[in-house]
Amino acid sequence: MNPVSVVGGGAWGIALATAAARGGADVLLHTRREGEPIPGVRRTRSLAEAAKHARLVLLTVPSAHVREVGRALGAHLDGHHLLVHGVRGLAAVPSRTPSFEGEDLVTLSTVLREETPVRRFGALGGPVLTGELSRGEPCVMVVASHYTEVLAAVRSAFAGSFMRIYTTPDLVGLEWASALTGILAVAIGFARGAGVGAGLVSAFAIRGVHEAARIAVAAGAEERTFTGLGGFGDLLAAIGEEDRPEVRLGLALARGEEPTSAIAALGERIEALSLAPRVADFAARHGVVAPILDAVAHGLFAQKNAPEIISTLMTAPMTGGA
Amino acid sequence: MTAPIFRFNQQRDDLVQTVVERVVAEARDPVLLLNDAAYHELRRLDAAGKDSSRWRKLARSLGGLDHHAARQRLRELADEHAHDVDGNFDPRVYAFASRVLPVGLSILLRPQVLKERGLGDVLRGNALAERIRTSGPIDRIQRLAERGTVVYVPTHLSNLDSPVFAYALESARLPPVTYGAGKNLFTNPVLSFFMRNLGAYRVDRRLRHELYKLVLKAYSCILIERGFHSLFFPGGTRSRSGGVERKLKLGLAGTGLEAFIRTGQRVFFVPATINYMLTLEAETLIDDHLKDAGKARYIIEDDESTRLGRITQLVNQLAHMEGSCAVRFGEPVDPFGNVVDDRGESYDRQGRQVDPRSYVVGDDGQVRQDGNRDGQYTRELGEVAMEQYLCDTVAMTTHVVATAAFARLRAAHGGKDLFALVRRADETIVPRADMLTEIEGVQARLADLDRRGAIQLSTAVRGATASELLGEAERALNGYHASPVLHTQGEGVALLDPKVLLYYQNRLANHGVGWIGGVR
Repeated sequence: MNPVSVVGGGAWGIALATAAARGGADVLLHTRREGEPIPGVRRTRSLAEAAKHARLVLLTVPSAHVREVGRALGAHLDGHHLLVHGVRGLAAVPSRTPSFEGEDLVTLSTVLREETPVRRFGALGGPVLTGELSRGEPCVMVVASHYTEVLAAVRSAFAGSFMRIYTTPDLVGLEWASALTGILAVAIGFARGAGVGAGLVSAFAIRGVHEAARIAVAAGAEERTFTGLGGFGDLLAAIGEEDRPEVRLGLALARGEEPTSAIAALGERIEALSLAPRVADFAARHGVVAPILDAVAHGLFAQKNAPEIISTLMTAPMTGGA
Repeated sequence: MTAPIFRFNQQRDDLVQTVVERVVAEARDPVLLLNDAAYHELRRLDAAGKDSSRWRKLARSLGGLDHHAARQRLRELADEHAHDVDGNFDPRVYAFASRVLPVGLSILLRPQVLKERGLGDVLRGNALAERIRTSGPIDRIQRLAERGTVVYVPTHLSNLDSPVFAYALESARLPPVTYGAGKNLFTNPVLSFFMRNLGAYRVDRRLRHELYKLVLKAYSCILIERGFHSLFFPGGTRSRSGGVERKLKLGLAGTGLEAFIRTGQRVFFVPATINYMLTLEAETLIDDHLKDAGKARYIIEDDESTRLGRITQLVNQLAHMEGSCAVRFGEPVDPFGNVVDDRGESYDRQGRQVDPRSYVVGDDGQVRQDGNRDGQYTRELGEVAMEQYLCDTVAMTTHVVATAAFARLRAAHGGKDLFALVRRADETIVPRADMLTEIEGVQARLADLDRRGAIQLSTAVRGATASELLGEAERALNGYHASPVLHTQGEGVALLDPKVLLYYQNRLANHGVGWIGGVR
């Protein structure tokens, strides 16, 4: 049996646990919630038990809880564990760069490095959707890690499931790609809701990914990660998908709803609202021109109307070729 | 003193033999290694117009070698390289050198002077000793040196770094180290005396083939396994820009992890900074930095460190200045970047104890090596060291004044790029009052970083007024460098050598105090 622990009992964590169990893995799910029994998945409320059960631990808590859960979990982990998170988001921390005193954006694996004794981290990403995964439909996921044993362990955990897993060593890139794609997905939903034509939506998507890539390169990512499954692949799934929370948020904003209450109404955690202005600041600080991110941070979330936002974007100075 | 290095000579033959045994035993494909060696050596020697016939002969013979003969040939070649690498630590020389060094490197580096003047005479002065300041968690490092092998990974600015560091260890009552020094330094008339006798082994950076790298790694690894404290400059080469390293290779330092995995020997890494008010080779290094990236030289054989006059001048200058050279030891960490306490136990960033073995056990609970994993651990260790470098950098008078001067220079020629700035033939004169205001600004920013623990300030920088700093920097820079660097004329300050100013301001560039454009 291939033991796997999943920490976090939200829809995404349950989908991952279900998929791994379907493939024959011995899955222990750490969650405080009661729920429907899942074939092949045991539940626990003890982090110690989750840490003891498996070397590979998948962390699927909301990004705002990564630090707190990481610290608690870290008390039970040691250097032999492989810790892989499937969390979209970045963390704002006080800058450790002497030259800059404000807030810095770091990846969630960086947070876990501070909170746990683990060194071998990984992240999940790519165009896989919760629904597809839990229904057992064919789907594609990306795992990133500097450590080949982490990549191998994730592949092995889902070996028997109907999931194809691509690997990359660009951990920073995949984490930034997942986070920024989440923001871009809101913009896609907004554009669609505002009645923007398919041609222009596609242009925003492409320009948005390029912009996101330029920002992430400043954080140490590889550009090509953004043009692959973890960036563009992830965003394409948002264009055709109604179910994705970020898309639904974008649609709601296009209807003129107020961001905070729109998120509350969705009943899902969406990091884009707080993350977008931080990313826009980050881009400005690193001299990266980012009109689309700016439009999300200071247009969509500031409740400007669609024609105004689109007009700003259409008249923004040209950056780079086609 | 009972530090393992004093047993070095007794172990030398055995050490070389163990290195050869290990390299030969672990070679998967001897013919491939031999072929690789022949290929690289042919290329190198042919390009240099040197005799390469022995390698040509080897390359031709490879097809006909059976397994046994290939292994035998590999053994011979590994043995040759291992002997070439082998150092020579002479305890008598160490005792002698460590007493003498404080007197002044110029004297020490010229043994004939000792003969002429006699030891007693030389030992009476002690000027430079008072100038090399050591700081950091020295007590902890002393304890750790008794429990395992200490691997120092300091910043690298000058060919004087290794003798200066050796002295700093002695002065901090820390046991001496072995270290790999570029083979070219052994032909340097000034430094070779030292190198040969102070635990240095030889690294020939011209040799690019795999077999040589394996021999070198095995040599370094076995030294660490046997408890010989070691020194590596993980920047790989002296910082050309004068900036604190932002990219580390670690390379041989990675054998610290390998030694831990192979034997369980506790290994503690100590990042450190070596800081000078004046850098011996400043002019050559910054020149090289400013050349097109492709043309910069990896090995420089004709810089100031080969010239006795310059070394003497530098030492005389440093010896008359308070705190002109500072070695700061950083927090010791295990091979995985965890901090360690006095007993050598490892702790994560939340202060929870962690067993370092847990990082290298496989699914089966067995400890084993893994090239990919261990390489990554070592890269991450490099990141920990670089963070410490910034916090442990000691800002000196010359850095502060050069930072202020370069800022005024840039302001005076707004919009000019780096190359246009440093190639200016005419001098720039800035009002002295502006210069002092600028220095005060730099002092204020440094004081702020210092409060946050993001840098260290030399005592001179901490206590002095802007005017005093300017005066001291002017004396120091003009007293050593070939041509005047900056010069006060009445109510103005003439900025005469932009390149040297750039070099010294670069030390603070990665702290966001100096201009970052000069280290990129």
